[in-house]
Amino acid sequence: MTHAQVIDKVLANIDKVMIGKRDISELSVTAMLAGGHVLLEDVPGVGKTMMVKALAKSIGATFKRIQFTPDLLPSDVLGVSIYNPKEMEFEFRPGPIVGNIVLADEINRTSPKTQAALLESMEESSVTVDGETIRIPQPFFVMATQNPIEYEGTYPLPEAQLDRFLFKLKMGYPKRIEEIEVLERAEKTVPIDHLETVLSIQELRELQDAVKEVNVDQTIKSYIVDCASETRNNPYVYLGVSPRGSLALMKSCQAYALIKGRTYVTPDDVKYLAPFVFGHRIILKSEAKYEGITANEIIERILTRVSVPIDRVKL
Amino acid sequence: MNEGKIDVRFLMLMYALAFVLLWEWLLPVVELTDTEYIGIFLWFIGISFLFGLLRMKWWIAVPLKIIYLFWSLHFVFFKMPFFSKESVSLLISDLMSNFAIITTGDWGSITNPMRTVLFFVLLWMTIYLIRHWIEVRKSILLFYVMTVVFISVLDTFSSYAADGAVFRVMVTGLLLIGLLTISRLSAKHGRKMNTGMFAAFSLPLLFAVIGSSAFASVMPDKGPAWADPIPFLKSVVQGEGVGSGSGSVVSKSGYDPDDSRLGGSFSQDDTLIFSAVVPKKQYWKIETKNTYTGKGWEQTPVERSPVNIVPGSLFGASSDILEGSDVLRAEVTIQEQLPYLVYPYGTSKIHTRTDVVLQNQEETGQFWAMKDSEKFELDSFGIDLSEQNFSLKALQETSMDDYSLESEDFTQYLQLPNDLPERVSELATQITGSEESVYEKAKSIERYFNRGGFSYDQQDVAIPKGNEDYVDQFLFDTKRGYCDNFSTSMVVMLRAVDIPARWVKGFAPGETERNSKGKTEHKITNNEAHSWVEAYIPGFGWMPFEPTIGFSNLTDIDYDLETDMSDPETPNMEERERPEKEKEEVPAATKSDDGGFGSFFKPIGDFLSKHKWIGIIGSVLILYIVWKIYSNRGKWVPRLLVHSYRKRKADWNLYKKQYKSLLKQLERFGIKRSDSMTLSEYAKTVDTYFGGRQMGMLTAAYEQGIYGGYTSNLDWTSLQEIWEDLIIRATG
Repeated sequence: MTHAQVIDKVLANIDKVMIGKRDISELSVTAMLAGGHVLLEDVPGVGKTMMVKALAKSIGATFKRIQFTPDLLPSDVLGVSIYNPKEMEFEFRPGPIVGNIVLADEINRTSPKTQAALLESMEESSVTVDGETIRIPQPFFVMATQNPIEYEGTYPLPEAQLDRFLFKLKMGYPKRIEEIEVLERAEKTVPIDHLETVLSIQELRELQDAVKEVNVDQTIKSYIVDCASETRNNPYVYLGVSPRGSLALMKSCQAYALIKGRTYVTPDDVKYLAPFVFGHRIILKSEAKYEGITANEIIERILTRVSVPIDRVKL
Repeated sequence: MNEGKIDVRFLMLMYALAFVLLWEWLLPVVELTDTEYIGIFLWFIGISFLFGLLRMKWWIAVPLKIIYLFWSLHFVFFKMPFFSKESVSLLISDLMSNFAIITTGDWGSITNPMRTVLFFVLLWMTIYLIRHWIEVRKSILLFYVMTVVFISVLDTFSSYAADGAVFRVMVTGLLLIGLLTISRLSAKHGRKMNTGMFAAFSLPLLFAVIGSSAFASVMPDKGPAWADPIPFLKSVVQGEGVGSGSGSVVSKSGYDPDDSRLGGSFSQDDTLIFSAVVPKKQYWKIETKNTYTGKGWEQTPVERSPVNIVPGSLFGASSDILEGSDVLRAEVTIQEQLPYLVYPYGTSKIHTRTDVVLQNQEETGQFWAMKDSEKFELDSFGIDLSEQNFSLKALQETSMDDYSLESEDFTQYLQLPNDLPERVSELATQITGSEESVYEKAKSIERYFNRGGFSYDQQDVAIPKGNEDYVDQFLFDTKRGYCDNFSTSMVVMLRAVDIPARWVKGFAPGETERNSKGKTEHKITNNEAHSWVEAYIPGFGWMPFEPTIGFSNLTDIDYDLETDMSDPETPNMEERERPEKEKEEVPAATKSDDGGFGSFFKPIGDFLSKHKWIGIIGSVLILYIVWKIYSNRGKWVPRLLVHSYRKRKADWNLYKKQYKSLLKQLERFGIKRSDSMTLSEYAKTVDTYFGGRQMGMLTAAYEQGIYGGYTSNLDWTSLQEIWEDLIIRATG
């Protein structure tokens, strides 16, 4: 079985639960294969949690869930050292962050301190409590959700911390026919309970290694850099995409190409992924906000301006 | 309007406006200099802009422009609409001879064809710059400001009246700047504008420009602050008492019959002497003098009695004018009376009131009118003149020995003062030594002043004292002076090498204006008083020469040479002899060659020169056919490609070419791919149009090769079949 077929099995499995969300599940798998994390931004009840659960179940990974609340403390996320009277020493009890797939629900409802703890462990793939560092076992994939920031009682994530996430995705409401299908399936049973595991953790690690082998041609690299530097020169953009952003785009393109059964990245991959990778990495000027222009619109515009390399170029 | 790519209609408008601006640069150049044929330059500008509009590839546009440039030269200097073998080789050799001149920095000797080439090159560069400003920078302010400065400087300091030009430049320039700004803004903010939107944006601009210019044109006009700025500026810079410092004589410029003592300062005198309506610039001759005294000029008393001429009748040597030559008519209106009539070269008839008799003193060239045996002052008269054309070839064949064949006695025109310093004639011999023909000898002296370190100045010009000789002083000591210095020196040097010469007085062509009837009118003031040289060239008679730097000789010389014109400045006898030997042998070969090549084209040329319209329609037709073939290349190029690629080995390198040619063909077919479209996106569009997924398959293979870097699993033969099928379908 090729890599693509293996992944397709996972996606098909998720499709049994999630209806009409193939793109989101595909992107989530892409992020997971590229070793990144995903921020899902949407209103409650559109299936964010279901999505993550289905993914976790499909790959037989440990699944943890943290519900963020204003009074949640960092130790509630990372874990605490507790005195064990039998052993006469402190013992570390890992928090819910130590797992393969972690759903961090509504992270913008907790205090910045706790947010920072989460984001740091995401970045480092490790947890440090009382000077003791514990590595989180791979694969480690965090899917954070947040309500759109216009809602009251939230602590918006700082821009600098947003780029800990590889993608920022929006779920969106299902179409009418899809929503009917959702109701139909849930009428008698709970679909998620019947989901089988189709991929082992070992296979997932192999896939992650295969991603690194996907070829990125010089022309594609230059195309990525062209797109990134255009965001820095755009009159509406206050702060453009950093080189870390270009790197993130390249890695996710590699993973996406693998999903699509290719051993090389094409400009289509770049064009498709750029909004998800760059969208939360640029800071708009206030003019843009007044004019109602969103970051994704700016990226769309940039993509229609940067010319696609269709031949070998000398760099 | 598409970002990056400028709408063709918009570009057309921009180019049209820029064309008007450039035209305003050409107009004064033509009016103030001897540049005729403004048409060929305008066509050149037009063609350049048209090529830009058509987005013609440079390797087509540049050769076409060079051909046009060459044709223009050919047309202007040979007056023939079609190339002939002889004329082309002559033109090329003339141009080549300039490179030596340019390297030595002897700018004055550059031949007219080369000057025209340089002017074309300048225009070419300017057009390139304008296109850059319009298409890339989208800002033309710099050029506009330059145009305004240029026009206003000319209006202030020259005779060019820029009243209309200022208005035209203002309107076109403002429109150009405004429209470009709109387009620049739309590009900056990434707003795509359709035609309607663009028109809506331009409307306020249009109103503002039209409104303000209409308002400005109806406002009362304030007179100029300075009547003529040059005297004013001079007095400011130099102080009032011009030239009084060194105790020299200050005289007013103008015609003065007494030339016995030359030298001293000049002050400007703008008094209008006469005006002449005549299409071309003319030197206006009054009289000649024959005796050089060492201080100035005198005329030995004339023994012969004057000849009577009835107004309107042909006279003199000019009575044998060829019938074919063009006769020009000059209408002279006298403002300030002169003792003699002024007349241009080639004068054949003088028309005036019939109750006077004209008298002509042939030796001095003076004309005057008599009424009732008294001198009468004419207010106006008309002159018929035939344009004189001299064949350069014949001129270069003149020899010093030919003087013995002339019947005239040249003693008075070879007179020199006894105490003329030796070094003057030594210099003359040195300058002319390398030249064979009389004409080239005279020319070499005329040219000498351009490179001998001389400068033109009207102030504080030395007056010879004691034993000093006027010419010697100028040639060796001061090297600074005005026309009298230059012309007298040339006459003396000519005489020193035994070429008969005389000193001519009269007026320079003056300022050219267009009068109320639209005719070219020349205004001659006292400032135009001038002196020059006439030398007797055997077989041709008296020919004018213009040694004064800053003035140009108006004599028409036909470039009718057949052989190599090696650098005229090189005093190398051996080199000059060689071509002559060749000349003896070559003609036979050239003749036979002409029989094949020339005789084939000659009848066509003759036919076309007789039926100009057929020629024009024919060339338009040929151009149209060529254009049709080019624009229909989408129909025949793919078949050609299929045929030629079939013979080659199918592999990745060939496939790359095939795929790219398919992209071009699809573009021509009408399925456009914008730069930001990926190939697979484009393939989808194409496959939607044609049905099937041929383009998708081809594109996948191409992408794998380009982005994946491996092609080992691809089946070239089947890909080639798909490619052939698709590209033929794309011919429509």
